Amino acid sequence: MKRIAEAIDLFQDRLGQSLSWLTAAMVAATLIVVVLRYGFGVGAIALQESVIYMNSLVFLAGIAWTFKEDRHVRVDIFYSRMSTRSKNLIDLAGHLALLLPMCVVVFVWSFDWMLASWRIRESSPEVGGIPAIYLLKTLILVMPSLLVLQIISESIKLVMALRNSDEPK
Amino acid sequence: MELIPLFMFAAVFAALLLGYPAAATLAGVALAFALGGAVFGVFDLSDLGFLPGRLFGIATNQTLLAVPLFIFMGVMLEKTQIAERLLDSLTGLMGGARGGLAIAVILVGMLMAASTGIVGATVVTLGLIALPTMLSAGYDSRVATGTIAATGTLGQIIPPSIVLVLLGDVLSNAYQQAQLQQGIFAPQTVSVGDLFAGALIPGLLLVAFYIGLILLIAWRKPERLEGRAVRTREKPSLSELALGLTPPLVLIVAVLGAILGGYSTPTEAAGVGAVGALLLALANGKLNVRALRETSQETLKTTAMVFFILIGASIFSLVFRAYGGDELVRSTFDAMPGGEIGALLIVMLVLFLLGFILDFIEITFVVVPIVGPVLLAMGFDPVWLGIMIAVNLQTSFLTPPFGFSLFYLRGVTPASVDTRDIYRGVTPFIGLQLLMLLLLAAFPALATWLPYVLKG
Repeated sequence: MKRIAEAIDLFQDRLGQSLSWLTAAMVAATLIVVVLRYGFGVGAIALQESVIYMNSLVFLAGIAWTFKEDRHVRVDIFYSRMSTRSKNLIDLAGHLALLLPMCVVVFVWSFDWMLASWRIRESSPEVGGIPAIYLLKTLILVMPSLLVLQIISESIKLVMALRNSDEPK
Repeated sequence: MELIPLFMFAAVFAALLLGYPAAATLAGVALAFALGGAVFGVFDLSDLGFLPGRLFGIATNQTLLAVPLFIFMGVMLEKTQIAERLLDSLTGLMGGARGGLAIAVILVGMLMAASTGIVGATVVTLGLIALPTMLSAGYDSRVATGTIAATGTLGQIIPPSIVLVLLGDVLSNAYQQAQLQQGIFAPQTVSVGDLFAGALIPGLLLVAFYIGLILLIAWRKPERLEGRAVRTREKPSLSELALGLTPPLVLIVAVLGAILGGYSTPTEAAGVGAVGALLLALANGKLNVRALRETSQETLKTTAMVFFILIGASIFSLVFRAYGGDELVRSTFDAMPGGEIGALLIVMLVLFLLGFILDFIEITFVVVPIVGPVLLAMGFDPVWLGIMIAVNLQTSFLTPPFGFSLFYLRGVTPASVDTRDIYRGVTPFIGLQLLMLLLLAAFPALATWLPYVLKG
């Protein structure tokens, strides 16, 4: 079990670290768009849209890694004063009762919507835009998928930690 | 049955206090109400069909693209210690005068606020770099901590701030909705640029108030300020000073000018600002692969955090609306004594209290979309309302015992400083914030004049 959690964490680390370079690419792409527009009067719609694609990839895929890194905002006036055991219990309950249902609902309710877009190979509404809206829509389903993976890893780690704290000293 | 939205709000509030990440709590509790309601036949699950469209709308929102770019710019400036250098050179300039160090901190905080716009980041950075200097220079710990905590919250109000981008996006939707409900089918718009312009005068006034307070202390209670002149290093020459100060100033003025002048969208300006931050780091010899990697990773995590709250909040409001929550809020406001002013006062009070528990992003995404359209339909100006909300929340973050700014500061303050001293230190600053709110209420033009002049 521990192996599974480690493998998932490693995968999310690699993914998050690789994707993070896209934030620098977004800065570069925006600069090029600005230079082309204001310097040469050229509108680079595809490039402009690529920033949207990169941003979507960054945050939709990055949400799971941000969970692993425990960087999502908590209302911690009480949480910060709790024992490690209580914190672990709350996290485990939250993963299974709040986050998991959200992932399932988002995945199930978006699935046909995504398929419909694939069927017609939906293109950008803009002339000269990126003809791959269906890929962008697929990303909406990548978010819950990666999150479920991370829920598995986090739950394994939390259950192990809780078991250890159960044992008499 | 009509009261379900109320229970939903109460339930999510209680669940948030447990401390599980807020975004997932918002979404999870809302969906529990949706699925539970479906079992009892009071919720139509087909309403969830709007879900993918909502999420897609978030992903393709042009305005929100400014968020990761501004975050990148702020993190870059922070990681490459540009703020430290800035404080160093300003201290050199003013360290000799009584209160000079505190004023230098306020000015640096203002510049940092304008560049990062993240409360926690500014408070922590200032606390780490300025607090030890202030204390060792003989500053009263109340004055030192109060100045830093208050200056840190300026990040929300001084443009270009990330929260103003988010608030601008939410308010523009709320404004459209309010006008459509009144039967106006060619609605006026409000943009992030308008909000930036509106925030400029109140933000600078607050800075002036803060500095005025320090001057007052220097005059009446000089013993609370430095006992000895600060000599962190040799007094810098004028050219050194110009070299240290000019680039960050140019960066901020350029970014703001481009947006306020209507030359570019906030997203474009943020992208150029991020490149500017890279160039500044390069000029300071701090740009390397490691800095770039750390900045990118930090940007990804912060961006994911912000957008996840947006996703959680939009799932919450989808279910809240489907249960008729909007109607409930509107009818409650209509039944309220005191008319528009009464409604506004209640909203401001509720936001102030919520500010103890939720941060700016959550309040912007969860509460403003619910109360915004109702207030705007009553005829309040959207820019003015936005600035009132921002200053109000900023005050909330400063107010003991729950203010966020105080928590961040406590985290980086030596144990020798009593928490009560921090509380006492911020009290006069809270007074100044309330004064600002009163001024805004009495003279709305403070917020509305500049945007309308710029719009022409």
